[in-house]
Amino acid sequence: MRVYRDDQKFLQFRINALLWGITAIFVFLAGSFWFVQGVQAEKYRGLSEANALREIEIPAKRGLIMDRNGKILADNQPAYSLGVDRVVMRPIVKRDPNHRAKLIQFMSTVMGLPPQEIEARFEKVKVIREDPVILAEDLSMIQVAEIQSQSIIFPELNIIPVQRRNYPYGTMAAHVMGFIGEVNDKELAQHPGQMEQGDLIGKRGVELMYDNYLRGKDGAEYWEYDSHGRRLSEYVPARKLPIGGDNVYLTIDFELQRRAEQYFVENEMVGAAVALDPRNGEVLAMVSSPAYNPNVYSRRFTPEVYKVIQSNPFKIELNRTIQGLYSPGSVFKNIMAIAGLAEGVVNPSTAFHCSGSGVFFGRRFRCWKREGHGEVNVQRALKVSCDIYFYNVGARLGVDKINKHSQSLALGKISKVDLDGEKAGLLPSTEWARTKRKSAPKWYPSETISVAIGQGPLLMTPLQVANSMAAIANGGKVYRPHVVRTINRGGKQLRVAGEVLSEVKLQQGALEGVRRGLWAVVNEPGGTGGNARIEGLGVSGKTGTVQVIAQKGWVKAESLAFKFRDHAWFASYAPGDPGQVPSMVVVVFVEHGGHGGSDAAPLAKLLYESRYKDKGMSARLDLNNPETLEQIKEGDLPLPPKAR
Amino acid sequence: MIIRDRAMPSVDLNFIGTAIVIALIGIVLIYSATWFTQPSLTIVKRQILWVGIGLALMILFLVVDYHVMVDIAPILYGIGIAMLIYLMVFGRLTANVRSWIHIGPFQFQPAEFMKVFTALMLARFFDSNDRAYLNFRSFLMVTAIIGVPVGFIIIQPDFGTAAAFFPLVAVAMFFGGIRPKIWVAALLILAIALPIGWTQLKPYQKERVVTFLNPELDPLGDGYQVTQAKIAIGSGGIHGKGFKQGTQARLDFIPEHHTDFIFSVLGEEWGFIGVVIVLALYLYLILQALTFAKKARDRAGTFLVICLISFVIFHVIINVAMQIGVLPTTGIPLPLISYGGSSTMMFFIVAGLIANVDMRRFVNA
Repeated sequence: MRVYRDDQKFLQFRINALLWGITAIFVFLAGSFWFVQGVQAEKYRGLSEANALREIEIPAKRGLIMDRNGKILADNQPAYSLGVDRVVMRPIVKRDPNHRAKLIQFMSTVMGLPPQEIEARFEKVKVIREDPVILAEDLSMIQVAEIQSQSIIFPELNIIPVQRRNYPYGTMAAHVMGFIGEVNDKELAQHPGQMEQGDLIGKRGVELMYDNYLRGKDGAEYWEYDSHGRRLSEYVPARKLPIGGDNVYLTIDFELQRRAEQYFVENEMVGAAVALDPRNGEVLAMVSSPAYNPNVYSRRFTPEVYKVIQSNPFKIELNRTIQGLYSPGSVFKNIMAIAGLAEGVVNPSTAFHCSGSGVFFGRRFRCWKREGHGEVNVQRALKVSCDIYFYNVGARLGVDKINKHSQSLALGKISKVDLDGEKAGLLPSTEWARTKRKSAPKWYPSETISVAIGQGPLLMTPLQVANSMAAIANGGKVYRPHVVRTINRGGKQLRVAGEVLSEVKLQQGALEGVRRGLWAVVNEPGGTGGNARIEGLGVSGKTGTVQVIAQKGWVKAESLAFKFRDHAWFASYAPGDPGQVPSMVVVVFVEHGGHGGSDAAPLAKLLYESRYKDKGMSARLDLNNPETLEQIKEGDLPLPPKAR
Repeated sequence: MIIRDRAMPSVDLNFIGTAIVIALIGIVLIYSATWFTQPSLTIVKRQILWVGIGLALMILFLVVDYHVMVDIAPILYGIGIAMLIYLMVFGRLTANVRSWIHIGPFQFQPAEFMKVFTALMLARFFDSNDRAYLNFRSFLMVTAIIGVPVGFIIIQPDFGTAAAFFPLVAVAMFFGGIRPKIWVAALLILAIALPIGWTQLKPYQKERVVTFLNPELDPLGDGYQVTQAKIAIGSGGIHGKGFKQGTQARLDFIPEHHTDFIFSVLGEEWGFIGVVIVLALYLYLILQALTFAKKARDRAGTFLVICLISFVIFHVIINVAMQIGVLPTTGIPLPLISYGGSSTMMFFIVAGLIANVDMRRFVNA
């Protein structure tokens, strides 16, 4: 028999209770959703975007580096890198534990590298990043094809088109240009928020000093990825276009630079050369030979190359023009002459007698010429590089006055050139001996005699010598030398202005005396710098030959082993005829070169000719020949046939 | 007569219509969840088929007088048990669970139908039991009716489906009636047993509970689904991202997004407004059913409606609450919205039977 609901008051009550209970629960649920969707919506929206969108960096094109006439010395070439996307790889490895070993085996075959090397590259990346890890650079088209044909099996391998830094002339001006490399932790800390691990940054030279201009600003694309790491489509509104770096124009003159470098290579010389414009401090050529090939440095994963470079006996990383410290030798006599005339210890007509040797402070000092020079005034002393004259000047000045005048002519301190790692050199003084020279705190007057001819504890860089020569050439202004002329930023040319760091008031008569002496060195018969003479240009300069080890008596340089041979200097400017304004300073330094007059001066002549005489003179290396260019880029600079 | 034509005009079209609207919303959401990963739209097409079959079953269970079904309940119940035993012996393992019967290309879960049969069996039992409270004998009877199928399902082993029988227990205890002093005793035992039980749990089981309480602790592990679902729902905000604009489900961040986590697709694409509308539809459906239960002609009708709607209540609350981590993640689908043949058909049958009881409240047997 059925029971009818009218008798079931308790059922009514219980159903009503359920009804209100359910309603309350639904209100509670709606409230919970309100909390998530209304109150916390912003938080979850951010999480949602981070979940689905991944940032793919688009590297900015690095600015070009050009010579003063617009010849490209550093550009960017399209290349392919191999990246491994760990986000994609993770789930695959989870499913197939052998996948990683297979991947390493495959890459080892394609790249022709031992599996251990691939493994090491994997291990190098400690931080798990979302960006693909670069495992190889400069893939050949064959390698690209091989990798892409296996993209089903190894979806985590990405071929990434990149812009590789390229120096079309290889070692050309390498020390000025510097090189780039992967940013390290220290540099990351120095550029907070600007750089990420794996980015490239200037490491040396202009690439380093002007990195902020050259680097540009990386852009980014935002791609949707699913939870399996598969790339779906780009979220275009968020795209950030990269901003290319600024182009940098050097003060370097390609033609001068090339000739100077070739001179060193052709003659198998180690050394440095600097050409400056004395009117504004622009560096027209800066050579340190031998040089490295920046194309090799600007690559990843080449530890073996680093080893070769570091073990090179000629220290190819060293920029000899600003980091090589050398004894100036007779080149220092310019400074001595200026100091002596300025202090009034001698006047332009003061003459000393040179008999081949002389006694100073109880010691006998020899002139380089055994027979002696006879009567010498300042002009003749410079011309024949008479030691006895400068011994007398040095004895009358004392070391501290020599120091003072050297400093006012840009020696003994950094020139503030816009390159990294510049060295200050060394200028002795009684103060220096007392505070710095622990072994012999007392300065002996006889030491001053050595300093007077540029020997003794006296060290300077070729650029400092050039800078002092420029001050003599322009009448006493010390410019800040610079290798960058203009920066092209957004269509505007930013000009690096000539900056006068200090100025010495030189007595007109003193300056004239020195200049006439320097002119005579090159242009008068019997001068030591005759090899730099150019008809009608009035090249003026001073030779220098620095003993590397003390010789007993007089020895022919050619009979000595290379590393015991003398260093050769030639410091000069032109045009130097009376009434002309000098517009180029050339300083040449040849390590273990022998004689300043015979080994260093010819390069100066070459450069002056190139600048003033035969602009159209054809290059001896055909730089329009792609094969030659390729060889140069690879670092095998072919030696051109001797033209003479 | 099984079919009483004169009862048909009094069918509650609001109730039937609400169920159909919910099912249509389900199809739209399944489309949103799968169009990207399954461009062939197989899943959507199949769901449309299930809804079609479900509608047919609903009409069938509407027109056949529920009294007839209550009468033959023992037979249906027996068939159900037989299917469960068949599964135990011959069932194929699918995802480590023997819960599917394969007939030709079709497969279905007998447990879903067993829910309806058990509800009919309970209705039949309470039809002849008009006491305000259960006595010990009737308590044992009710326990047996529910316990036997649950036992077989646990053996499959499908704890999620077994748990879905819990609302029947609650109905039996609450509407069948348990004396207050027994409630107190039961709660006391529970309060003592819980801490002891915690110490007896295996470490991984404890981990699950901890993860449930704080899913952000382990966003890529056990809490992954909830974290991702919450991100989807939260990022939808008030208005939602719009139809087909959700990224979470489309990009596969939410697993099971067309089945158990379909509600998060609603939250992401249609926002809080969409959530409130769907919750309101469910609430309307439930409240109407409870009104039917009150107005039902006999105890069998009342209990049948309460038993059946308790399934809906249970599924909706558990499923919706787990989307935002209010309750732990279980494999409980959202009635009429989640993709799935057995579940869709079962809930259409439920809707048909409830309307059936309502339709026949004035008709004399």
